[in-house]
Amino acid sequence: MVVLDIETEDGQREALRRMLTIRAFDTKAADLFSDGELPGFVHLYVGEEAVGVGACSALESDDYITSTHRGHGHCIAKGLDPDLMMAELFGKANGYCNGKGGSMHIADVDAGMLGANGIVGAGPPLATGAALTSHLKGEDTVALAFFGDGAVAQGQVHEAINLAATWDLPAVFLVENNQYGEATPVEKQHNVQNLSETAEAYNIPGFTVDGMDITAVYEAVKEARKRAADGEGPTFIEAETYRYHGHFEGDQQPYRTEEDVAIWKDRDAIETFKRRLVDAGTITEDEFDEMKAEIDQQIEDAVGKAKDAAYPDPSEAYEDMFNAAVPEISDFSSGMRADGGEDR
Amino acid sequence: MTTTIGLVVNPAAGRDIRRLTGGASVSNNYAKRRTAGCVLAGLTLVDDVEVLVMPDNTGLANRIVDDAPDGIGVEFVEMTVTASGRDSRAAAAHFADHADAVVVLGGDGTTRDVAQTIGDVPVVSISTGTNNVVPTPVDGTVAGAAAALVGSGAVSAAETTTRHGTVEVDVVRSEETTVIRGLATVGVLDRPFVGTRAILDPSDIVGGVVSRSSPAEIGLSGIAGGLVTHRPDEPGGVGFRLARDGADRTDAPDATDAATDPATTVRAITVPGRLSTVDVAEHRVLDDGEDYAFEVDRGVISVDGEREHEVRNGTVRLRPVTDGPRLVDVEAVLERAADDGRFRLG
Repeated sequence: MVVLDIETEDGQREALRRMLTIRAFDTKAADLFSDGELPGFVHLYVGEEAVGVGACSALESDDYITSTHRGHGHCIAKGLDPDLMMAELFGKANGYCNGKGGSMHIADVDAGMLGANGIVGAGPPLATGAALTSHLKGEDTVALAFFGDGAVAQGQVHEAINLAATWDLPAVFLVENNQYGEATPVEKQHNVQNLSETAEAYNIPGFTVDGMDITAVYEAVKEARKRAADGEGPTFIEAETYRYHGHFEGDQQPYRTEEDVAIWKDRDAIETFKRRLVDAGTITEDEFDEMKAEIDQQIEDAVGKAKDAAYPDPSEAYEDMFNAAVPEISDFSSGMRADGGEDR
Repeated sequence: MTTTIGLVVNPAAGRDIRRLTGGASVSNNYAKRRTAGCVLAGLTLVDDVEVLVMPDNTGLANRIVDDAPDGIGVEFVEMTVTASGRDSRAAAAHFADHADAVVVLGGDGTTRDVAQTIGDVPVVSISTGTNNVVPTPVDGTVAGAAAALVGSGAVSAAETTTRHGTVEVDVVRSEETTVIRGLATVGVLDRPFVGTRAILDPSDIVGGVVSRSSPAEIGLSGIAGGLVTHRPDEPGGVGFRLARDGADRTDAPDATDAATDPATTVRAITVPGRLSTVDVAEHRVLDDGEDYAFEVDRGVISVDGEREHEVRNGTVRLRPVTDGPRLVDVEAVLERAADDGRFRLG
């Protein structure tokens, strides 16, 4: 049973809601960052919502995903709580990583979200590992790796796909080709025209889908998941998409023009999906407006709650980092607590 | 006088989900680049040729231009690249006014996009797509030579091209009508959305209209071809409606509770790697312009093998019309040129 059955009207409305939630979350994050309210760095998913939601909807609830530095959308698509995500962005103790990970490291293993990751191309090896675990334990779970076009040229991505392909592991490799690796257009990074062509080197199926159409991504991942779960090995999917914001907030974007962006906005994933649902009578314009207002309020509330939440105690600064106890850290934490901590 | 040849190379053709779900072959862009290079070499069979190339955003067209042989002028069409079927249509619209012949590397979808705006300019269509009906897997050099001979007027286009039929569709909902145009086939599918576009499951097929049919073809024209053969340049087409929801009885051997008793059962290759048993409730050879209609509560219109248009509570009226592209018979062109002594140097 997929997480969201996009073949049903209920599933379509929920998919639209999740895409809108991602956009509202990241649009708000952009505002907060430009106002100097967020610590650290943020890389936003605005424009790419159909890939994350389409893919995660086609998985089973206990499947795993790995993410990228641009991970907010994957988190929401996998069902994570925007309140706890926003708290993490603000570095608050109730965030997903107790405020110590920030935007680029949100993880929730219980929900199958194995982590956003600041290292380009670090997700696929984790997915291969999760798929190997599933295989060795005889479980039914599948691991899907989101990664970007820039990551395709990373050696560890090759290693991950090669191993998963050679061992027929239950993995799906989904490259989000958003047309730029940081500031470099994709055609200046790779010698193939479709990144899915690289699948041929691993002797696995590879194909390209329209990443601006949630139904295309959903159907593609559903078929790839079936192949993985049937023990036939991984699939390489390229979703062609576009990020509307810069690589990072504050990026001056000299590598593209407003016209370049406008061509893709003309195919906006949310607007086109909404139009299809309105035409089919699945949702009315009024219901859409209500849904959007509700989500905007939800994100505003998440910001309010995050601002009101407590920071982690400085005595916990080195906790949650290692699986086993480290004596020096225990000594430091005990000392801090004995001193009553520090004022922030 | 300079002969101008238009070149459309679809970088997206042959890369869809059928690499996973069916037996479709892989067509990578290195192969397309090599084929395009062969086309350019073939064009040098005649003197004074210039080539206008459709640009793309993948770098493929750049490489084709960079690789062009000496002595042949190659330029890009000035147009906005959208990375969609609009690019092929825009390039073809330019070629309609500026080219003497056009070479297309792609599948049925690419050829259909070109056909929408190419007018009377002769088209050589080379298959780099998936289980194609219209384009043929001809060598690029041979195709380029044929395009050069027809484009330059060395061989008569009137005697070596055929006018392919098309299928016109009106999707009527309330007071709104949407018009769609297919080249070889238009189908009605029981699917909720366009999705990955490919027809993944023959059991989704409800019926359709084709402008050509042959049992040697894959998909809707193959189903119709099991009933009657209809040549691409014959006026009219074939309409058919299946007896039950879906074309593949092998998936549901107990499906004897058909909505309609089958009038005929045929075997057909419905997708690559799949030989299906198809219960057909009705089929009819259609005259040019004759309507064949479906009432659709929820479904998708497929055009030339790809899901294109979602329909809710509408009437879909399909009709074959004889206003398609002029397709070049490559073999006939070269044989005619040989008959005229064009390959003899002494």
